Amino acid sequence: MRLTIDGVACEAEAGEFVKAVAERAGITIPSICHHSALPGLAACRLCLVEATPAGKRTEVVTSCVYPVSEGLQVVTMSERIQRLRRTVLKLLICRAPAAEGRLAEYCQEYGVQNNFTPPDPDEKCILCGLCVKACEELGPAAIATVMRGVDKQIQSAFAEAPTDCIGCSSCAKVCPTGKISCTDDGESRVIWGKRFHLEKCPVCGRPFATSEELAWLTHRQVGESLDLTLCPSCRAQQAAKQSVRG
Amino acid sequence: MVEKTEAEQIQEIIQHYPGQRRHALAAMQDMQHCFNYLPRAGLVALAEHMHCPLVQLYSMATFYKALSLKPKGRHIIKVCDGTACHIKGSMSMIDGVQRHLKISPGDVSADGQFSVETVNCLGTCALAPVLLVDEKHFGKVTLGQLPQVIDSYKPGGGNDG
Amino acid sequence: MAEVALRQLLVCCGTGCLANDARAVADALETALQDANLDISVERGSVELKRTGCNGFCERGPIVKIHPDDVSYYRVKPEHAESIVASIGAEPYKPLLFRGDDKQPVTRQVDNPFYAHQTKIALRNIGQIDPLNIDDYLQAGGYLALQKALLMPTDEIIAAVVASGLRGRGGAGFPTGIKWRSANSYPSLPRYVVCNGDEGDPGAFMDRSILEGDPHSVIEGLAIAALAVGAEQGFLYIRDEYGLAVKNVAAALQAAADCGYLGDDICGSGRKLSLEIVRGGGAFVCGESTALMSSIEGYVGEPRAKYIRSVERGLWGQPTVLNNVETLANVPYIITFGGAEYAKVGTAGSKGTKVFSLVGKVKRSGLVEVPMGVTLRSLIYDVGGGIAQDRPFKAIQTGGPSGGCLPESLLDLEVDFESLLEHHAMVGSGGMIVMDDRSCMVEVAHYYVDFLCGESCGKCTPCREGLRHMRDILAGICAGHGQPSDIDELEELAFCLQEAALCALGKTAANPVLSTLRYFREEFEAHLNEQRCPAGVCPSLTVMQVDSEACTACGACFKACPVGAVHQLAAVGAAAAVDEHQAGNDKKADKPRYEVDVMACTACGSCREACRFEAVKAVKKEAVCA
Repeated sequence: MRLTIDGVACEAEAGEFVKAVAERAGITIPSICHHSALPGLAACRLCLVEATPAGKRTEVVTSCVYPVSEGLQVVTMSERIQRLRRTVLKLLICRAPAAEGRLAEYCQEYGVQNNFTPPDPDEKCILCGLCVKACEELGPAAIATVMRGVDKQIQSAFAEAPTDCIGCSSCAKVCPTGKISCTDDGESRVIWGKRFHLEKCPVCGRPFATSEELAWLTHRQVGESLDLTLCPSCRAQQAAKQSVRG
Repeated sequence: MVEKTEAEQIQEIIQHYPGQRRHALAAMQDMQHCFNYLPRAGLVALAEHMHCPLVQLYSMATFYKALSLKPKGRHIIKVCDGTACHIKGSMSMIDGVQRHLKISPGDVSADGQFSVETVNCLGTCALAPVLLVDEKHFGKVTLGQLPQVIDSYKPGGGNDG
Repeated sequence: MAEVALRQLLVCCGTGCLANDARAVADALETALQDANLDISVERGSVELKRTGCNGFCERGPIVKIHPDDVSYYRVKPEHAESIVASIGAEPYKPLLFRGDDKQPVTRQVDNPFYAHQTKIALRNIGQIDPLNIDDYLQAGGYLALQKALLMPTDEIIAAVVASGLRGRGGAGFPTGIKWRSANSYPSLPRYVVCNGDEGDPGAFMDRSILEGDPHSVIEGLAIAALAVGAEQGFLYIRDEYGLAVKNVAAALQAAADCGYLGDDICGSGRKLSLEIVRGGGAFVCGESTALMSSIEGYVGEPRAKYIRSVERGLWGQPTVLNNVETLANVPYIITFGGAEYAKVGTAGSKGTKVFSLVGKVKRSGLVEVPMGVTLRSLIYDVGGGIAQDRPFKAIQTGGPSGGCLPESLLDLEVDFESLLEHHAMVGSGGMIVMDDRSCMVEVAHYYVDFLCGESCGKCTPCREGLRHMRDILAGICAGHGQPSDIDELEELAFCLQEAALCALGKTAANPVLSTLRYFREEFEAHLNEQRCPAGVCPSLTVMQVDSEACTACGACFKACPVGAVHQLAAVGAAAAVDEHQAGNDKKADKPRYEVDVMACTACGSCREACRFEAVKAVKKEAVCA
C-alpha cells in the first residue's frame, strides 16, 4: 500500500508500522523505548507524529505501533509535535536525570530545560519496560513491573535476587538508559544482585555465557542442533568451515 | 475438627481452578479473602500450578488494590474517599481515624486489631460520608461519632467477635 | 391450592438501605406479617414480602413500599413493622411518608418530586422484583426479548439497536449497534462478549444498583449481544468490592442456565452461550477496555495502544464486544419494543434515558433515571430539591475523573453526550456531584489528580509523570506556595496528557483541572496571589473563627470540634456588658462565649457545619495568626 510521510511517497506492507516505514525512507523519528526486535511497548511517547488516514481527521499517534493504511498521510515534525515532544522529554529527564544514552541528546536537540525538581537525582530508569519485554521473550521472565501509577518500578519477585534469572543480561543490553548494572570480571557475572559463573569457549577461551543461560538454551532448543559449548563467533566460524567442506 | 494448615488451604484454593493463566486473579482473590493477605507460599504454589513466572503474579499482587502482600488487621476500616464523601469531609474523617488509632492509611495497628485504608468509592454516595468496617457500612458519620464506632470493634466492644 | 398474594410488601435491600439496617426491617416485617395474617380480613387478602433491589432514594432508606397501592415509606426502622402491616389496605401510616418542603405527606411515588421527573427504562424492574427470583423477572416480561431475538436474523437485531440510537453508558458514548455490526464484520472466530461492571468512577453507583437489583436484565442484554455478534462465550467483569452484585449475578446466571436461557441449547434453538463472572481486582484503569481484557486474561490491567479496535482484536486477539452494565440493561427493552420506541426519548444525538447518581450537597440524593436532554437545573432543583441547607450552588461535577466541573452559568444546559463535551465535561458513567460554596475547586482539582496518580497504570510517560507533576503543583497551590507560572505549567501538562497519553484514562485525566481552570480561575488566583482559600477548605490557608455578634452561644461548635480547638470562655459579666455594643443585650451577656484556638484548629469545618446561625466563618489563616 502507498502512504506519504513528510511529503515523501512510501510503499509498505499491510501490518507494518509507520516508524519502520519512515526509517526505511530515511526519515528518523526520535524514540527511546522502541527496539525493532521487541516492538509494541509505546510507553515513552516520544515517537509521536500526526497521522491522517484517508478520509479521516488528523490524530496524534505513536508511530512505533501505528499501522499503515492506504493513502495515510504522516507528518513527523510540526509545531504541535515539537511542543508535545518537549513536554515528554522534560517529564522523562526529570524522572531520570542520570539516564545515559539518547535521552540527554534529545533534550539538547529540543532545547529542553528541566525546571521540575527530580524525585531522585540519581535515577536512570524511565520505566519503558524494554528489559521486562526482553526477559519475557528471550529469558524466563524473571523481572516485571510492580506497583502502579507514580509508584511503578521494575523489580524481581519480592524484590530479591531472582531465583529464575539466567544471567543472560538481555535486559541490560536493551536498556536505553544504562539503568541495569551488569558486571563481568572474566570469571563471573553479577546482575540483579546475583552472581553467575561464566563458561569459557573451549576454542578461543573467552568467557561468553553463564552456565544457567546455556542450560536454558539447551532446554529451549528444538529441532536445530547448535553446539552451545562454543561461543557464538567460534560457532559461526565452525559452521562456515563445515559448509565449505560440505 | 483438625484445623487445616496454611499449605492445605492454599492447595484447596488453587486446585479449585484449572491451570490456566486467566484464573490467576480469581485464585489470588480467594487467597486474599481466606488469609486477609497473599502468603508468599501461595504465590509460589500458584505460579507452579499455572505454569507462569512468579514475578508476574507478584506484579499482579502489587498492581491490584484488592490484593495485599502484608497481613491486614483483624478489622479493616475503610474510609471512603469517593467524590461525594470527599466534599462532605472524608479528609477530616481520615485525620480523625488517624488521631484515634495512631495509624496512617495503609498501616496496621500495633496490636493487629485494625487496618486503616482509604478507598475510592464504596458506591453508597447518598449516605456520604461513609465508613466501612469489615462488611458493615456506617453512613453519614460525624467526627464526633467516629471514636465510638471504632471502639465498638476493640476487644470486648460490641462489634468485636 | 396456593393462595395468590394480592398485595406485596416491597422492602428495599440495596446496599444503601442495607447499610441503614434494611435486613432487620425486613425480618421485623416478616414477623409482623405472620402475626397479622392470623386474623387478616378478606378484603385485605394475603400479603407477600419481597426483598428488592435499590429504589435509588438511598439517602432516605430503608424504603418499604406497598404494591399495588403505591404507598412508600422512608427511613423505616424495625419498630415500625406493626404500624406498616396495619396500614396495608388501610390508611397509610403518616409518620413514614415522604414530606417535601411544604411538609405535606406524600403517599404515592409518582407524587414524590424525587421520582416524578424520572423515566425508568434501565431501572425498570429494580425495586419491583426480587433479584434472586427468576420468576419475578419472567413475570415482568423477562427473557421475552431473548426469545424474540432467537427468531430474528442477526442483521435485524443489530438494526434494531442501531435504530434505537443507544450509545455506550460507560463513558465514551460509542453507538452500541455500530459496535456490534463492526464486530460481526470480522470473520475470525471465536468471538467474545464482555459486560463491563468495573464501575470505578467515584460518585457513581448505577451499575452496582442494576447488577444487584436486576441482574437478569444485564444477562439477557449480554445474551442478545452474543446472538448479534455470534459469540458463544462471555464474561461479566464485576468489581470485587461489590460483594452483593457478584452474589446476585452468580445466582442469576445459575437460574438462567437452569431455565435454559443460557447453556448449550438456548430455549431449544441450538444456540450456545456460556457466561462467567470475573471479579475485578480493584483498579480504576480496568474500566478501560484493553486494560479490562488484559485483566480477564490474567495479567496486570495495563492498556495497550488501541489503533486496532477490540471489535477486531480484543480478548485473546479475537473480535470482542464490550458493553457497559447500563447499556446492556437497555437492550431487552429495545428488542421488545423496537428501536424506534426507544428513540422517542432523548435528544437528537443521545437517545433514551440516562441513570445519574445525584449526590453531594443536594437535598435529595440518590440514583435517578431521566431522559437525555434534561437540564442540570431540573436535575438539581426538581429532582434533587435544591442545595442542602439552601446554601449557594457552586458547581456540579459530571463524569467522574474524566469529566469536569460546570458552573452556575451552565445550569440550563440540556444534558447529553455532545452538550457536556462541548463544555469540557462529559456524561461519563453518570456521576453528578453537586458542590456548594464550601467546596474549594482547586482542592477538587487536586483530589481528582491525586486519585488518578494512584490509579494510573504507570505505563506511559505523560500519564505517570505528568500527573505526578500536576499533583505536586496543585498541592503547592492549595498549601499557599504556588508560583505565578503554575497555571501555564498545568495547561502545558494537560495538553500533553490529552494528546500524547496511551489510553482514554490518560487522555481525559486533565479534564477536571482544565474545567476548573476554565470556570473557576479566580479561585486558583486567590490561592496563588493572596494565599487565600475562598471556600475556606484548604487547611494551610484557613482557620475558623466565631463571630461573636452572630453567635447565640448554643455550643454546637464546641461539641463538634474533634480536636478541642473551640474554647468556651466564661460568660461576660453584667458589668462588661454595659460597655460597647453589648449594652442592652442582657440575655447574651449571661451566656458563655466561644473562641477558636487558631494554633489547634485543623480547619476541618466541623464547627462551621454544626453552626445553624452562620456564626462560624472560615478566614484566612495568616490574618488571624499575625
